[in-house]
Amino acid sequence: MGIFFSKMFSSVFGNKEARILVLGLDNAGKTTILYRLQMGEVVSTIPTIGFNVETVQYNNIKFQVWDLGGQTSIRPYWRCYFPNTQAIIYVVDSSDTDRLMIAKDEFHAILEEEELRGAVVLIFANKQDLPGALDDAAVTEALELHKIKNRQWTIFKTSAIKGEGLFEGLDWLSNTLKSGGG
Amino acid sequence: MFSLFYGLWKYMFSKTEFHVLILGIDKAGKTTLLEKLKSVYSNLEGLPPDRIVPTVGLNIGRIEVENSKLVFWDLGGQPGLRTIWEKYFEEAHALIYVIDAACPSRFEDAKSALEKVLRHDDLQGAPLLILANKQDLPDSVSADELDQYLDLKKLDGRVYMFEAVSAYDGMGIKESVEWLMAVMERSKRTEMIRARAGVTTGRGA
Repeated sequence: MGIFFSKMFSSVFGNKEARILVLGLDNAGKTTILYRLQMGEVVSTIPTIGFNVETVQYNNIKFQVWDLGGQTSIRPYWRCYFPNTQAIIYVVDSSDTDRLMIAKDEFHAILEEEELRGAVVLIFANKQDLPGALDDAAVTEALELHKIKNRQWTIFKTSAIKGEGLFEGLDWLSNTLKSGGG
Repeated sequence: MFSLFYGLWKYMFSKTEFHVLILGIDKAGKTTLLEKLKSVYSNLEGLPPDRIVPTVGLNIGRIEVENSKLVFWDLGGQPGLRTIWEKYFEEAHALIYVIDAACPSRFEDAKSALEKVLRHDDLQGAPLLILANKQDLPDSVSADELDQYLDLKKLDGRVYMFEAVSAYDGMGIKESVEWLMAVMERSKRTEMIRARAGVTTGRGA
């Protein structure tokens, strides 16, 4: 029964809409990514308190993208947005090697959440334009992505400032969500 | 008491779940194989081959055959990504190794990557299915020829088979799954993994 509903659900959402959460530590570049995807421009941002939400139409899918503030004090509120999420975009500042441990812990805490069990995971190793940025293999290692065994995941090197890697990520999302994901 | 009966009930009626790892160097056709498996064995459509991009990370396919569930883990095969393969070994019941049979220039690369995988302790006793993929291409070599090319030694009594398949048109897919099911059901490794899982869940209950 549950399978039946989840199949119906995915067939409906596979063609029309998908609810995506953009998560990550503060200053990872979540808001810049959101507006780069939506408008194709780099906007100057201030730290997000609360959320930004925009719809991005791409590959026949309407992505409803929620960008949630990443500061320590407001991370507990992320969970209010978890229900009915098909995918998580987890954004990491690849040049902020000091805080990768924290990024890893927050990430694995998110994966434990019951309400996000069916969500596929896309990681953006962001800020590749900065010197000293770790590449995708190094970020994979640092975030211990190999511990994920029950859902699909991928990682892309991105630069929100230059607009690199972002739409490749959305391509993956639309393919994965269409082919039944998770 | 309840948990005892529940355990028994679960033991008798729940479907066994097998984890099958799909490995191979890049461009071998692992994800195309995964999508073909999904479309043959479940009512999901599966991505058409022209929409498939190189995998960076993990793709998952879940199918049901007879009374068992099969979970396929398809990992990216580019050189920089092969380091994560071993992280998935411990829980794998069996291994599918995909080789592009129409690309002899990369057989050596495929062979050395496979030998490295087989040396790893965490895959001890795991049945191995080597697929000579891309049989739809005119210049592909047969399963026997690939066997000779690879000249694998030191399989140490591991159960293995070569099969000629085409993930593109579906040739050999059903035979492959049937073989896997048969060997996994009676492999020592399956018993070992089951015993290990039994110990941990028993403690939890």
